[in-house]
Amino acid sequence: MSSVLLPTLLLVIAATLLTLGMLAAGMLFGPRRTSAVKEMPYESGMDPIHDARRRFDVRFHLVAIAFLVFDVELLFLYPWAVANRTWLAWLNQANHTEHLTAMAEATQAVHVNPTLVFAEIMVFIGILAVGYAYAWRKGIFRW
Amino acid sequence: MFVDSETIRFLWPELILVLCAAWIYLGGTFRGSRRWWVAFALAAYLLALGVILGLEGPATTSGDRGGLASGPILVDQLGMICRCFAILVGILLTLLMSKSTRHDLGSEYQGTLMLLVVGLMLVARANDLVLLFVSLELISVPTYVLLFLGRRDRGTSEATLKYFLLSILSSAMLLYGMSFLYGLTGTTSLRGIQAAVSTQPSVAALSFASLGISPDALIYLSLVFLVAGLGFRLAAVPFHFYAPDVFQGVTHANAALLSVVPKVAGLLAFTRLVILGFPQAASQAWEILLVLSILTMTLGNVCALWQQNLRRLLAYSSIAHAGYILIGITVALADSQRAGDSQGGVAAALVYVVVYAVAALGSFAVLAYLGSEQNEVHGVDELAGLARTRPFAATALSICMFSLAGLPPLAGFWGKLVLFLGAVQTSSGGLTVQVMQWFMILAIAGAINAAIGAAYYLRVIATMFFRAPAKTLDAEGGDGAAVVMLVCASLVVAIGLFPGIALNLARKAEASLRAPVSLAAQDPDRSQPRPVEHAWHAPEPPRTNL
Repeated sequence: MSSVLLPTLLLVIAATLLTLGMLAAGMLFGPRRTSAVKEMPYESGMDPIHDARRRFDVRFHLVAIAFLVFDVELLFLYPWAVANRTWLAWLNQANHTEHLTAMAEATQAVHVNPTLVFAEIMVFIGILAVGYAYAWRKGIFRW
Repeated sequence: MFVDSETIRFLWPELILVLCAAWIYLGGTFRGSRRWWVAFALAAYLLALGVILGLEGPATTSGDRGGLASGPILVDQLGMICRCFAILVGILLTLLMSKSTRHDLGSEYQGTLMLLVVGLMLVARANDLVLLFVSLELISVPTYVLLFLGRRDRGTSEATLKYFLLSILSSAMLLYGMSFLYGLTGTTSLRGIQAAVSTQPSVAALSFASLGISPDALIYLSLVFLVAGLGFRLAAVPFHFYAPDVFQGVTHANAALLSVVPKVAGLLAFTRLVILGFPQAASQAWEILLVLSILTMTLGNVCALWQQNLRRLLAYSSIAHAGYILIGITVALADSQRAGDSQGGVAAALVYVVVYAVAALGSFAVLAYLGSEQNEVHGVDELAGLARTRPFAATALSICMFSLAGLPPLAGFWGKLVLFLGAVQTSSGGLTVQVMQWFMILAIAGAINAAIGAAYYLRVIATMFFRAPAKTLDAEGGDGAAVVMLVCASLVVAIGLFPGIALNLARKAEASLRAPVSLAAQDPDRSQPRPVEHAWHAPEPPRTNL
């Protein structure tokens, strides 16, 4: 087997096991108290059959916006990690200076401080955390 | 575009303000007091101003730019002066908004406003298409929120939605225009684009040429989109349609914000992007802008003549002033085509936008001061007899309006004078006969418009002084608005009496804009336009595993 595909295979196996495990754990340990409401198709707590033009709670909208915080975070972390992988590799290298010089030549950039590259994304996450904390304090999760 | 330690050194004021804004949002959920957060915001602005003047002032004037000549951030006099002005605008708007209509949203107001000021500060020094666009959005996005926070009724919602939709449309156009520039040159650095356009065609340009499309045509196309995108921010015809409706729908403080901040940002972006970015397109650019300028002035002034709503009137006045500002940009472009060196066009536009901003802020502050939460001042007629009932406010409004009209001892007069003189100078020297005629037409159109403009400003002033008072206005706009109107009126008089200071600062700013930065000497690798293929690929990392 090609060693390139091995991590992928492991991931697939792990994902399958995790999913099945969670389902099994729920079946084994979860309490089962059925009622008419609980047996309904899940529609975010709303009656699944109703007029299409019914109003729905604005809090759904707020939670969707709070979700955007994490969405944007993910959206940005990946490009950041890809764009900076050369710099971040520095954190794991033993011969820091040599590696840094080599990278500086490779990317034709100057004055790049790997710690700063890391601090940059921490600031980004921090700002998003402020947004999340703000939403929390404003009580959008209070139903 | 890495942020390196050199860049961070010059970013402290912005970072301080962003941190303070985050703190205001978060802290506002714990402590609701409006006064406390206004005081905190003012302290933050003063701290940022202190950092700019104390830490960066020496570095900027001594020309110690580090390795930044072609980085994302420019360190020059123009950026410096405009950032100080951005903070001044921030302080004035903070005071003006200190008595917001909803008590529980006081901290949201101040935090959002602070982010907007940071956006303006970044526009002033952006040297990169990406940074320029992001900082313009950092102005736009908080603006939407602020407009909506101002008041909650149908009119405000309508105005906010109109502004939002048209603003994102203009941003899309701007981005589209920028994408052509990037495609042609293979770099997002403004200095890099400048160098690339003037020296050798990039790979992309060559491939377009092989398809029978000349790079010049693409530059022209890009220019049209950039003018459309930035024209919206200036409220220039034909991108002005939103202005009257939006101004009418929002509060006075927000109307003040709309008339000042996007205009300053638009002018700065024009300066950095269009005038400096690609001088090759200057001949087409000034032709477009000259026509737009004449149309904008005329339409703004003529439509303002029959407005009865004060905010609508000031909206059309804002459009008209965008036309005057465009005169400066046009002159700068024509000069750069002639001599490769601007001779005062940018400086005149800068002085004018500052003078306009101060007078407009003052006018809106008076109107905000005269109203109260329940009864805002709407119609011109409501001001009847104000000179007798509220002499102080009437005087401040008259000073600001006289300045907007351009009457001699006040700031607005000098602003118009330098603009018109620039146009006349361009029409009298160099270039072809046709060009000279066009600039003479521009100068004459400007002068005629100044006369038309005076009519409606004087109508407001006459209403205040010569008509019997109809009803007493509440005048519950708060101390903040009173302070702003006092400061703005005094600034208008001060600039009017000592115009030399403002003009010299603007000339210095313009000179620094053109200061030759030897690209090769400072930072050879980043400034040189690279072929497009290379720009696409991230540097390959050493493959160690797998």
